[in-house]
Amino acid sequence: MAYTLQFGQVTPYLGYLAGGAWLALQLAAIGFVVGWAIGLVCAAILHYGPWLPRKIVRAYVVFFLNTPLLVQIFFIYFALPDWGIVLSSFQAVVIGMSLNAGAYLTEIQRAGFNSIRREEIEAAETLGFSRLQSIRHVIVPHICKVLFPPLSNQYIILTMTTSIAAIFGVEELTGRTYNINAQTFRALEIFSIAALYYVALTLVASAALYSIGRYFFRIKGKVF
Amino acid sequence: MFKSRIRGFLQVNGLRIMALLGALGVALPGMADLAAAKSLDDILKAREIRIGVNPTLPPRALFNDKNEIDGFEPDLAKALAEKLGVKLTLVAVGSPDRIPFVASDKVDLVMGAMSRTSERAKVIDFSAPIHSENYGIISLASKPFAKLSDLNNEAITLVQVRGTTAIPYIQKNIPKAKLLLLDNYNDRDRALAQGRADASFDGIDAVAYRLKIFPNVKFNIVPVPEWGVTYSSFGVAKGNYSLRDWVNIALYELHSTGVVEQLWEKWFLKPMDTKVPVTPYF
Repeated sequence: MAYTLQFGQVTPYLGYLAGGAWLALQLAAIGFVVGWAIGLVCAAILHYGPWLPRKIVRAYVVFFLNTPLLVQIFFIYFALPDWGIVLSSFQAVVIGMSLNAGAYLTEIQRAGFNSIRREEIEAAETLGFSRLQSIRHVIVPHICKVLFPPLSNQYIILTMTTSIAAIFGVEELTGRTYNINAQTFRALEIFSIAALYYVALTLVASAALYSIGRYFFRIKGKVF
Repeated sequence: MFKSRIRGFLQVNGLRIMALLGALGVALPGMADLAAAKSLDDILKAREIRIGVNPTLPPRALFNDKNEIDGFEPDLAKALAEKLGVKLTLVAVGSPDRIPFVASDKVDLVMGAMSRTSERAKVIDFSAPIHSENYGIISLASKPFAKLSDLNNEAITLVQVRGTTAIPYIQKNIPKAKLLLLDNYNDRDRALAQGRADASFDGIDAVAYRLKIFPNVKFNIVPVPEWGVTYSSFGVAKGNYSLRDWVNIALYELHSTGVVEQLWEKWFLKPMDTKVPVTPYF
């Protein structure tokens, strides 16, 4: 291939790209925290709730798991204004990502609730644990240990998914990469650098999650 | 070791290789002949002219309700074929492959918004202009803008399509305006109609056609000829002057009798912003 890589033309934009990476991190973090909260409530409803709320949660989960995130955000950004709800680009993307992540995290956390065995609770009762004590010392550690790896994976996936925001006018990492590409035409160089930024974002997150998991829940894992 | 293997291979297959090279030597000049463009005489003899249009660029060319190629360019191609007295075959081409289509004799003439540029003219030849290509400001009718400098204001948001040519210009010359970059022109149009942005500075030829899906929203479209006007032509294979010269004369007739403008208004739903000066000399 008679193509020479020229990084000199794109290095002036490294700071601009870093700003995009920061926005991607914000999108992923907000989406994950809100999605996790939605998921916790919905999983609790699925596990302990009465019939009607359970059906509503099921409908929400089925709808959001079976349609693409892109279509969901498109609907929030472009269709809601026809009913008078005009959300900014950032708001629409954050809401879309949170609702989507919420559906996935509902399923993940429901599995976590299901993984507690009756025998564990009975054993705690036999040993004279109070209800609070068995939640504190048996149920929560168990759920955390089971849930931590899939939750971490979901966070990493969410970081990648933030690239969709560029389509809706949020100038995050991918959007800024496209902008520089349109100005310099140095696609290979600038997309390689963007890839490195994404690797940095996810590796840092992986390392942090690994440390948390190891320290708090004694989960053995690998960053690499 | 390796050398001796090659020697062995050549000893066994030498004759076959020679035969293959010989066959290629015969075939290659023949293939070059196949790719030669059809002259005007060839087209008249074949009683068929093949014209490339891009049906992904409505209203220039599009697929109509019967799933046939229709639009401004097909209509003009029909008028041209009628003048030549031959059958018209429309060929769908895309933006990246339309020049190879005419250069390799897959079509005789290519349309599809063929702007004349000195870069393209190194590869193919161009007829006289068919129509102008205009840039301008699109905004809601309730908030009209007269000129580009009116947009240079912190309170103004411009919506543009990511990666298009006007963006570096806006960043340099209209630096105060906020930019909202969306993915494609459909999204741009919708954002304008929903009031997410105040204006957009981009090509305005197809805008009246595009915006008719928002019948309740009134838009204001102002040409900005200072930006520069370009012209679209028929592209012909390099050196196919017999065809190009005939097309120029036919195009002169179609311009001076008003057919081009009439077809333009039929499809683009507004007059051509910069008229093509019609001269009898080309």
